[in-house]
Amino acid sequence: MAESPTKDAQSQDLDIPLSATFIPPSITRPLLSSSTSYTHHSPHPPILTSSDDRPPCILGVDEAGRGPVLGPMVYAVAYTPLNSSHFLKSHSFDDSKKLTASFRSQLFHSTCTPSHDLHTHVGWSCTLLSARDISSGMLRPNTVGAYNLNAQAHDTTARLIREVIESGVNVAEIYVDTVGVATSYQAKLQKQFPGAKVTVAKKADSLYPIVSAASVVAKVTRDAAIEVLAEMEQEEEEKVEEDPEANGEDQNEAEKVEPAEDGKQKGKRTWDKVVEMGSGYPGDDKTKKWLKSNMDPVFGFGNRAVRFSWRTVADMMDGKGANAVGVEWEEDVDDGDQRITGFFTSGDSVGAGNGSWYGVPVKADSF
Amino acid sequence: MLEARLEQAAVLKKVVDAIKDLVQDCNFDCNDSGIQLQAMDNSHVALVAMHLKTDAFSPYRCDRNIALGINLASLQKVLRAAQNDDLLTLKAEDAPDVLNLVFESAENDRIAEYDIKLMDIDQEHLGIPDTEYAATVTMPSSEFQRICRDLNALSESVSIEAAKEGIKFSCQGDIGSGAVTLRQNNNVEKPDLSTIIELNEPVGLTFSLKYLVNFCKASSLSNTVKLSLSAEVPLLIEYKMESGYVRFYLAPKIGDDE
Repeated sequence: MAESPTKDAQSQDLDIPLSATFIPPSITRPLLSSSTSYTHHSPHPPILTSSDDRPPCILGVDEAGRGPVLGPMVYAVAYTPLNSSHFLKSHSFDDSKKLTASFRSQLFHSTCTPSHDLHTHVGWSCTLLSARDISSGMLRPNTVGAYNLNAQAHDTTARLIREVIESGVNVAEIYVDTVGVATSYQAKLQKQFPGAKVTVAKKADSLYPIVSAASVVAKVTRDAAIEVLAEMEQEEEEKVEEDPEANGEDQNEAEKVEPAEDGKQKGKRTWDKVVEMGSGYPGDDKTKKWLKSNMDPVFGFGNRAVRFSWRTVADMMDGKGANAVGVEWEEDVDDGDQRITGFFTSGDSVGAGNGSWYGVPVKADSF
Repeated sequence: MLEARLEQAAVLKKVVDAIKDLVQDCNFDCNDSGIQLQAMDNSHVALVAMHLKTDAFSPYRCDRNIALGINLASLQKVLRAAQNDDLLTLKAEDAPDVLNLVFESAENDRIAEYDIKLMDIDQEHLGIPDTEYAATVTMPSSEFQRICRDLNALSESVSIEAAKEGIKFSCQGDIGSGAVTLRQNNNVEKPDLSTIIELNEPVGLTFSLKYLVNFCKASSLSNTVKLSLSAEVPLLIEYKMESGYVRFYLAPKIGDDE
């Protein structure tokens, strides 16, 4: 924890300008825009392709953006030959939450830069589960059964690892960070990947550098995705959004980053770049503000960035003090159900004076 | 003013239980022929018509036509406070804002009195034409309830076919299909258990089981139920009471009749 790298100490061996936000190759705008979940695989690192004997690799798994109400949930794996794992430590990989946003960004950028030794040694893949897919899974009707967040997480992780193995990487050891119970999850994964030694641990991202690498991939991808989504929403919402800050965004703001020392969930985001959306966490004031200003009183939100299955959203639409328009849903009319009104005529037009015959209805003012 | 006394509170309890899942709020129209009600469900697919004739009450007094706009859930809450055998008296002013209910115990001198706030309900009255039905089937209400419930487990809709020899309920579902046939039979000793078919011409129609199951909540009103069918008109399901009836109308489904 004490060795959180500072910007100054680390920046000399990095060749990207600090002011530019690094948009990693895992960001595909059209797919983000269409709310599609997708997976990106990096090419195999040269060290794997150069040797014929498929060296055994360690693989780390981590996620980013599980809690937020906005944006995709990102699952990432990083892998490197067993004998190269020391590389990672020398590059100060650590729990992504302990690294500054810019430092994470630089690490990932290096990994994507062909000349860099990180690129030579580390391969990575990541899956972006879109807000729409997360929500529609969680809100599946009872007849099908909800596809809860844990199940989605486990399936995505397993799919990612399988795809990496199928691409020809000899995975010998798997390290996974988990928020739930480690033992049962470990058994489940071990069963699916009998050829590798699976370790599932809490805080794995600070224990195993390869998990840290994965967590950097996940976190940077997630942050970039949020930023791109914010831009897209901004473009569409320009008419609605009248916040002058939205356009007069200060570039320097982007770099007002501090190493967050506490590993706790709360308040760990200090990145100010995405002014409009904030971190996406329900507790974030900017996120709240964004949600408020982007809500349509009738239709709610677009499905690109907002997770409908979150309580936050439901409360905004339907809770106490909600400012959405109330909608009375008529009972679903099944296919083929005909209305009875098509058979019987309205008494007012046919039955001579039926209405008055039944007397005068009680008036509201009589209460 | 209205003053109407029922010998048994159970009658009104059953009526309300039978329709409260179909209709939330409705007008009870009181006039010199008794108390009537007509309402559609939210989706306007089904219609319920109820008539408690003056004979059902003793005494019955209604000086002017009054529409009592009532939330049925509220009415049910109040009626729960009544014993089945209680004498029930309904009272209302000519331009009422409350309906007064008095429950008098048949056994002791307990008198309970409740007021329900009324509401202004803008309700559409539909003219129901007299129809000569192709088939009219009378059967035990418990049997009809059982058939609807059993087939509802398999499918959303049921096809009802009435022929000379019997009435057939059949359905197709994801897990399989099912069919129940009741043959015409006249039980002389227990007429309530008879299945009687009056047929002008054979008829087959498809209906949503969800609604039929809902209508079957009226089974406690009568031992028998009468189904009247004709091609391309709503099915009429009637539960007759001693002095009145509850009728349900349901439009047939289109498209998937076989």
